[in-house]
Amino acid sequence: MTIQSINGCIGCGTCVKTCPTDVIRQDPRTGKAVIMYPADCQICHLCRMYCPVDAITISPEKSIPVVVSWG
Amino acid sequence: MDTYSKSPFVKMSVLFFGGLPLMLWILGGFPERSFLKESLSVVTMLSFFFMIGMFFWSRANPLVVKDLKMRRTITIHKAIGYTCVAILLLHPLFLVLPRFFEAGVSPDDAFVTIVTTFHTGTVLGMLAWILLLILGITALMRNRLPMTYRTWRRWHGILAVVFIAAAAWHAIDLGRHSSLAMSGLIILLTTVGVRLFLKHTL
Repeated sequence: MTIQSINGCIGCGTCVKTCPTDVIRQDPRTGKAVIMYPADCQICHLCRMYCPVDAITISPEKSIPVVVSWG
Repeated sequence: MDTYSKSPFVKMSVLFFGGLPLMLWILGGFPERSFLKESLSVVTMLSFFFMIGMFFWSRANPLVVKDLKMRRTITIHKAIGYTCVAILLLHPLFLVLPRFFEAGVSPDDAFVTIVTTFHTGTVLGMLAWILLLILGITALMRNRLPMTYRTWRRWHGILAVVFIAAAAWHAIDLGRHSSLAMSGLIILLTTVGVRLFLKHTL
């Protein structure tokens, strides 16, 4: 598994919108983000980078460096 | 200072409100993050537990008054109170502070997203923040308020009870380290603290 856990989610839904492979969904009962399809995670780190409360942890064992543009 | 360090009540309360949450945090097996993020989390968590402790470091608790006398109890109540109120008032900014040093969402965008997400946890957090601000200001300006000390003390306690109820729910709902054990400890300490106040006041 690549996306490891979501702790302290406020339910803003940003990660759901940013995930290109639809790994994360919003629980209709709690309104919080849940990891629905972990096998589809491409380790792009977008959910982690755009989460306002830094609630998402990506497994460090399988992580690849984030590509960040200069300037 | 020597009186405080020798007091068995102070030692016990530091163990309960500092040691126990730290132990649960260490044993919780939470995902590792950067030193800055973990430090800010631990400072916020301890401040919250020490805020619960304010119910125990007050005249409502006969044990502490017997051990430290009222004068020293008030000194410890004020010192811890003002420090923890300042930290907890700033803690929404602690969430976005690490964003200055990372790629991704900007700190101001993250902050706007947090305060415009109207879910139970965030709304309760904002309510608790406002109550904490009122608690802090009315404590600082107590002498200027048009009420007797006894009336102020009662209102201060009632405000504290409402604050801790909202803050505890917020912490359990949104706390990154709110495992079952940590939530249980929050509920236990809050219930005992509020009961102590109600028993003394009613």
